Amino acid sequence: MITGLFMALVGGFLAYVFRYNLAFPGESIPLFGQLSAGQYNQFITNHGLIMVFWVGMPLLVGAFGNFLIPIMIGADDMAFPKLNMLSYWFFLTSAIVLMISFFVPGGAFAGGWTMYPPLSVNGYTDPSPSFLSAIFYGSSLMIIAVALEFTAILMGGINYLVTTINKRAPGMTPFRIPLAVWYIDIATVIFMFSVGPLVAGAFMLLFDITLGSGFYDPARGGDPVLFQHLFWFFGHPEVYVLLLPTLGVLGEIIPVFSRKPLFGYKPLIVLSLISAVLSVVVWAHHQFIAGIDPRMATFFSVATILISIPFSGIFLSLMATLWGGKIKITVPMSWALGMIGLFLVGGFTGLFLGSNAFDIYAHDTYFIVAHFHYTLFPSVFFGFFAAFYYWFPKFTGKELNKALGYIHFWLTFIFFNGVFFVLFFNGLGGQHRRIYNYEMFSNVAIEPYITFEKIATISAICLILSQVIFLWNFIVSWAAGRKAEKNPWQANTLEWVADSPPPHGNFHTAPKVYRGAYEYSVPKASEDFLPQNLQAD
Amino acid sequence: MNIFPESVSTYGSGIDNLFWLILAFAGTAFVISLFLLLYPLFKNHHTRVKRASYITGSLGKFHFKLVAVAMLIMAMSDFIILFAEHSTWEAFTTLPKQKDVEYIVTGRQWNWIFTYPGRDGVFGTADDVVIDEPNSELHVPINKNAFFQLKAKDVVHSFFVVNTRLKQDCIPGRTITRWINFTKEGKYDISCAEICGIAHTKMRNFIVVESNEKYDHFIDSLYNQQAATAGNQQ
Repeated sequence: MITGLFMALVGGFLAYVFRYNLAFPGESIPLFGQLSAGQYNQFITNHGLIMVFWVGMPLLVGAFGNFLIPIMIGADDMAFPKLNMLSYWFFLTSAIVLMISFFVPGGAFAGGWTMYPPLSVNGYTDPSPSFLSAIFYGSSLMIIAVALEFTAILMGGINYLVTTINKRAPGMTPFRIPLAVWYIDIATVIFMFSVGPLVAGAFMLLFDITLGSGFYDPARGGDPVLFQHLFWFFGHPEVYVLLLPTLGVLGEIIPVFSRKPLFGYKPLIVLSLISAVLSVVVWAHHQFIAGIDPRMATFFSVATILISIPFSGIFLSLMATLWGGKIKITVPMSWALGMIGLFLVGGFTGLFLGSNAFDIYAHDTYFIVAHFHYTLFPSVFFGFFAAFYYWFPKFTGKELNKALGYIHFWLTFIFFNGVFFVLFFNGLGGQHRRIYNYEMFSNVAIEPYITFEKIATISAICLILSQVIFLWNFIVSWAAGRKAEKNPWQANTLEWVADSPPPHGNFHTAPKVYRGAYEYSVPKASEDFLPQNLQAD
Repeated sequence: MNIFPESVSTYGSGIDNLFWLILAFAGTAFVISLFLLLYPLFKNHHTRVKRASYITGSLGKFHFKLVAVAMLIMAMSDFIILFAEHSTWEAFTTLPKQKDVEYIVTGRQWNWIFTYPGRDGVFGTADDVVIDEPNSELHVPINKNAFFQLKAKDVVHSFFVVNTRLKQDCIPGRTITRWINFTKEGKYDISCAEICGIAHTKMRNFIVVESNEKYDHFIDSLYNQQAATAGNQQ
């Protein structure tokens, strides 16, 4: 988790540099200096790669999967603790390899995080410095780093599934498992199902770069669009891999602070399985204008828009949990509600892009950029912070500072909107992505877009600075916070039975499970919560 | 408010209208969702409620059916959007029967190459005129079905003419034909919307739309010039 947070700082710094450049083109950037067009491309590329693979994955799937799965199902540890460790070291290595790529001749990979060939291959055929489209060392290291990272997540994923299947406490039947565990496992299955083609595709890319093969070279019978298919066959399910753990976390937090059972526990599991199936047949909506058959595009457009149905069901159920509850607003609850609010914007703008006709215009503009930040930022950061503030007392045995938690939440919420809401308009105005300096394009470098760029940049700087509050709160509370109670939120799930922080082996005596995870405000019960391990009278 | 740049193609307004249609659906759904999210925070605040109601929302129960109906409404809105957008999609991707003029537009690092077919109207013959310069202009007549054969020489580029709403990736090894019928004279930007290397930012050319007389005059002098240079070389 700490490694993931460090990578988040790196990714955030890259974002700061290129956003500054967009708002104030050509000016020297504080803490960095002059940014060249080549560096700009490297930075946007690696910002994308880092935030998805080295922040989203380890924070949501990696850190919380390893901590929550065993303790929530009442196991003493993961099924394969050594595999777990190996997975972490692979992850760390992958992060180091990626960082090294910034310092090799020619710099880091700069072909966009989607690494479309032939751009990502050209470094081989013409590595002269004037031809900085993509560079031999940078792109090879990037592919190796991505492959190592996937290996790490795969090892972790095997561990999650085996642990969930084999190490449950007595009485923990499948439909008594908390939603967070279900969703992390489903996300893992989606990941495993979709990652194969991408790894194969990435290695074909590596061969094209280093060995001179021609998988993606039309002159030698290859096809560049093949890579796009392989990439997005993974790339789209990946966003659900990042979204589902967060929804699972919300499924824990919202019932606890509404003192009410989770609305539609079994339907929620079914809906997520439906969306998991649909998620692997929507990939080509990233390629509507990439020259695929228009009839195929129609199919993917339908599938894409249909995926809004299970997700609308999931979000409606989460919101229905609030109705009729006894709601207590706390710091983790704020993050959870903020996540839903922001994701609604991201989800509904997805309707515009899923419709293939509108995508002709909006594709590769800032409208897309704003859309996916409205989906990924809430699911990665709001989800992470919700979980962090909720489980911190359990992690460390200490309490976080509440006031700082609220300030952190509101600043993040406001400045996040400040960055990305205005970019919707820039996108609709025709600003296309990945442009180093819009002054070249007099047709889009006009008011109000110039002002919007500045608003976005200033908000982005404030957004990053707001995280200092979080780091401060994290470190100070851990070192010198008040001692937390065993079950501060009065929650039902098994992790609250263990000591805070949990000792080696998690529980003193192995817990037994008598009921589902969401028995809040049961009629006639004396307390408004019934822990899973409490024996019935 | 004018949130789109001016539309100058026959099908451009279709995209803009589609935006407003989807916005109507998505906006309504968004407002309803916000209400569903925020209202209980006030009504069911823990200071106002003694004990939460025990509602599980399991399969088949009344509350579950409420959510199911909401999902059904969502599905119906989805299909209305899909139905409405399909004709716009067809307008972009189906070539009209009548072809008035045709050009080859090739993306390369880092400018667009324009090829005029020459007097014989056939590509690949000696009288083709190829213009391969940064920031050069392609001349197109107004109110004509102009076909563009889109190609790429080195890496993936994307042909994007903001004011017509048309965007199409250009893939090495493929030829993809798209069409535009311009409705207004003027000089419009062609940019590249797919990252294509270090000078992606500088890849900018223009389409000049002019009246038929002006266009004929331009194309005449262009071909004459071409014939003259070709003659000189022999």
